[in-house]
Amino acid sequence: MIGDLFLLSVRNVLHRKLRSWLTVIGILIGTAAVVALISIGQGLQRSITHEVERIMGFNTLLITPAAQGFQARIQLDLAALRSVPGVEEAVAVRTETAYVAGPAREGFLSLTGYDPAMEEFVAELKLELESGEGFSQRGQVVLGARAAQLLGARVGDTVRVEERPFQVVGILAPQEEGGTAYGGISFNDSLFVFYDDLKELFPGPDLAQYGFVKVASGADVGAVKAGVERALARAGINEAEVIGFEEITQRIRAVLSGVQAFLAAIAGISILVGGVGVMNTMYTAVLERTREIGVMKAVGAKNSHVLLLFLLESGLMGLVGGGLGLGVGLGVAQIAAVVVRRLFEAGFSVAVSAGLVVGALLFSFGVGAISGLLPARRAALLPPVEALRYE
Amino acid sequence: MSQPLLQLEGVTKVYRMGQVEVPALRGVDLTLDPGASLAIMGPSGSGKSTLLHIAGLLDRPTSGRVIWAGEDSSSLSPARLAELRGRHIGFVFQTFNLIPTLSALENVELPLLFQGERRGQRRRRAAELLSLVGLADRKGHRPGQLSGGERQRVAIARALASDPELLLADEPTGNLDSASGREILEVLRDLNRRGKALVLVTHDAEAAAVATRVLRMRDGRLLEGTG
Repeated sequence: MIGDLFLLSVRNVLHRKLRSWLTVIGILIGTAAVVALISIGQGLQRSITHEVERIMGFNTLLITPAAQGFQARIQLDLAALRSVPGVEEAVAVRTETAYVAGPAREGFLSLTGYDPAMEEFVAELKLELESGEGFSQRGQVVLGARAAQLLGARVGDTVRVEERPFQVVGILAPQEEGGTAYGGISFNDSLFVFYDDLKELFPGPDLAQYGFVKVASGADVGAVKAGVERALARAGINEAEVIGFEEITQRIRAVLSGVQAFLAAIAGISILVGGVGVMNTMYTAVLERTREIGVMKAVGAKNSHVLLLFLLESGLMGLVGGGLGLGVGLGVAQIAAVVVRRLFEAGFSVAVSAGLVVGALLFSFGVGAISGLLPARRAALLPPVEALRYE
Repeated sequence: MSQPLLQLEGVTKVYRMGQVEVPALRGVDLTLDPGASLAIMGPSGSGKSTLLHIAGLLDRPTSGRVIWAGEDSSSLSPARLAELRGRHIGFVFQTFNLIPTLSALENVELPLLFQGERRGQRRRRAAELLSLVGLADRKGHRPGQLSGGERQRVAIARALASDPELLLADEPTGNLDSASGREILEVLRDLNRRGKALVLVTHDAEAAAVATRVLRMRDGRLLEGTG
């Protein structure tokens, strides 16, 4: 019975082709906009999460100064942190501005304390050498590409840092501008010395920009995080904040989700407008087919049959609009992804979840059916005689 | 004699036109036995169509009772009334009232669809009925492709779809040329002879002659006429 009514509704929709298509387009545009925005948004979230994961890994905790700002620093007791159960390694990232003299030129450059441990678990802190060997003992320095150029130094030269001689053992490969920086300064412009050398050069309190803690495999990240917080508190360091990978991605997600929800809501309004279009078309259809409704009732159609027939018609238009809108939306999202990849040379792809597909179809069918509800109800409740008499 | 198919007792119908009340029926009593035939004649506005609609359970009386096969229809739900109309009553209208988007065959199938009859069954039955009214070769035609007489035959086939006990015809020849009209009347007479009760509303004496009993109607009241 429902199947027969459905076939009948398909024919009715097809019969008024132009009007049905116009109505469908209303739903299509709204659905396409929502689907495109959501799939792009989800893709963005995934890429960013992926990026954060690549830099930090799941088992890394970041310790930052609680106070935001360029000059914010914290004093880290690395030995105390390493003794927290479940902590495999702890490193601090500290950058100072040092007076450096090279063969060609001298001036202020940033100087970063290097700890071999940091390379092992923070991918982004790995030093990619273009020439030379890298650190083997204290008293050595590795130069960022631009720093080497400025100083006119090559591997084997000696540069003076804060009046102390350091032997150049490596020069870094040039980094893209805007790449990840140590404490706000690009690798290109920085010099690297062993952390202990840095401490000797700047003998004041050992204030780092931030620290990383690596959680031993198998240890509970949450428990270790609590332990690290306790250790910091015991050491009297209250102005530090410990952030896990989860929290970073959560914060990014929260912001992105908010933006995404806002955009989708705006796009959703156009679906509502499409729904109003469906309602309008259906009211017209009910009016036009008033006599037909009377005839159906005369030959034994119950109110529920008439209601169902009109609901199926409006739902069908919603569903077709939603299905096409889904396709168009995903197409637009794919094109956007290609453009983003070309323009920013970033790894970005659109996320298409089953939930989005099913959700879009159900939602558009729902909008169609709900928009059709009032017209269908009007049709169902028409008194048969009045309907038959309608001219 | 078994119980009457249809009884109307003191039926009145008042239409409200804004502030004005227009009485269409002013107390009608009528009994129709199974297989009987009855023509109701009268000028337009005399209430014949209203009477037919009420007898066909398409409309409810303002007062009085409509008893269908022993059952008082005033206590029945709209869904039950729809079911009675679908299974036991066939309507034939002056303007045919076919659904223009459906083929002749599909129009005839329609009452069976609402009864939940299976597709194959419906097709077979509708094809049989179209053959019965002489339109075996017009099954796939839309109403717009048929002549007036043909359309009315399709309408009659549709009225017969669920093999009803009662046919109600409202000016069935009113929109037809006289030759087609006579053919349609012949079909109706034949159906009545095969046992269908028939109530025919008309202002055409030739049409009324199909029925064995003729009643006249004036100002919402039935007057006993010939037969």
